[in-house]
Amino acid sequence: MGVPYIPVRGLAGTDVMERRDDMIMSYNPFDENDLNVVAKAQNPDVAILHAMKADEQGNALLRQFGEDVVVAQASSKVIITAEEIVDSVQPGDAGGNYISAINVTAVVHAPNGAHPTAVKGYYEMDREHIEQYVQASTDDESFQQYLDRYVIGKTEDEYQAMVAEQSMAAAPAGD
Amino acid sequence: MSPQRPASTEELLIVLMSRDIRDWETCACGALSMIPAASMLLAEATSAPHIETIILGSDQLSGNLGKDIHFLAQRGKLDLFYHSAIQFDAAGDFNLHVIGDPDAPDRRLPGGYGSGLISYTAKRIFFFRTEHSKRTFVEKVDFVSGAGVTPPEFKRAAEPFRVYTPMAILTFDREAARYAVESVHEGFTIDDVRENTTFELDAPDPCPTTPPLTDDELATLRGEVRERMVETGTYADWAAEALQPG
Repeated sequence: MGVPYIPVRGLAGTDVMERRDDMIMSYNPFDENDLNVVAKAQNPDVAILHAMKADEQGNALLRQFGEDVVVAQASSKVIITAEEIVDSVQPGDAGGNYISAINVTAVVHAPNGAHPTAVKGYYEMDREHIEQYVQASTDDESFQQYLDRYVIGKTEDEYQAMVAEQSMAAAPAGD
Repeated sequence: MSPQRPASTEELLIVLMSRDIRDWETCACGALSMIPAASMLLAEATSAPHIETIILGSDQLSGNLGKDIHFLAQRGKLDLFYHSAIQFDAAGDFNLHVIGDPDAPDRRLPGGYGSGLISYTAKRIFFFRTEHSKRTFVEKVDFVSGAGVTPPEFKRAAEPFRVYTPMAILTFDREAARYAVESVHEGFTIDDVRENTTFELDAPDPCPTTPPLTDDELATLRGEVRERMVETGTYADWAAEALQPG
């Protein structure tokens, strides 16, 4: 949007306000009897967003719900990772929110790239992996172990191979 | 009609909140809101047939409803929203974020969206809690997710918060910044309520007894409302189990 701040109805008197310096109380410039919270604009340097489809120009179809398009428009650089690279993504394509190439810096083909979360129409969430993650996140030590196992020094291919093997092992025996 | 088996805590809260819905109100609840959903549907089936119900988690509704409810409330068009919280305190503040030290919490809770925003914009708020205890009604909450009192120039609906528990109905008056007991449920006394609340409670003397649940209310809840929840995919599994006929 390119605006410096936005009013927020709510949050007054909460500990959320106490703990952040990007939200303050301010009077409505048009009404001296109207006090609001105002939130400073958030402008990420880089946004990385996962799409269902993208084309080589950078047009993409993002998930239908959520605020991905707004995040993209607020960020200086936008990297789209996509389940599929297709010839052309057009406004009005079914199943997602269109984002135009003018907002996008780079596109990466990343099948299964939202793992362990879901992509509608492609795959469900990996509940077992999410449980592992939740367990690991209970303290710093176990979280470090999780990172060492899955993230640090691992390539995307290595990660995908590991989680594919785990879901094969967890799947019930075929009939 | 044959006498109904005694109400569960959930059923008690559902019936009590349904009675206080005003006909023609627009009412909404958030995620994982079985008790509110049932209470709205019970009101619609009994005393408030013209309400508009917005139930997240029902197969009847689709779309980016969270956003719609948010802006509806900001425009002043949401009459009633339901809330739970893990702690309530003397100042009317409530907590849905963490138990313990916020920087090293014992428990993390779902957090702040409804409490931080909708509780400021919906005209009326019904809080509910399935236990009435000193760990719930504390002197000071561990984290303020939503504030009871805000500056007068901060535009906010004036109606008191209402809090429904297994023992009583409380109201929080923002002008007076005080909690009061509106009525105590059958089987409990005002002393029971005070003994299980850390902060002071005002109360009329004598304190009214909450009118007991009627067989009709329970039968409608366990019949028509349960059926409708199952048929419309509105927390169907929960309704089938929690609202069994009898």
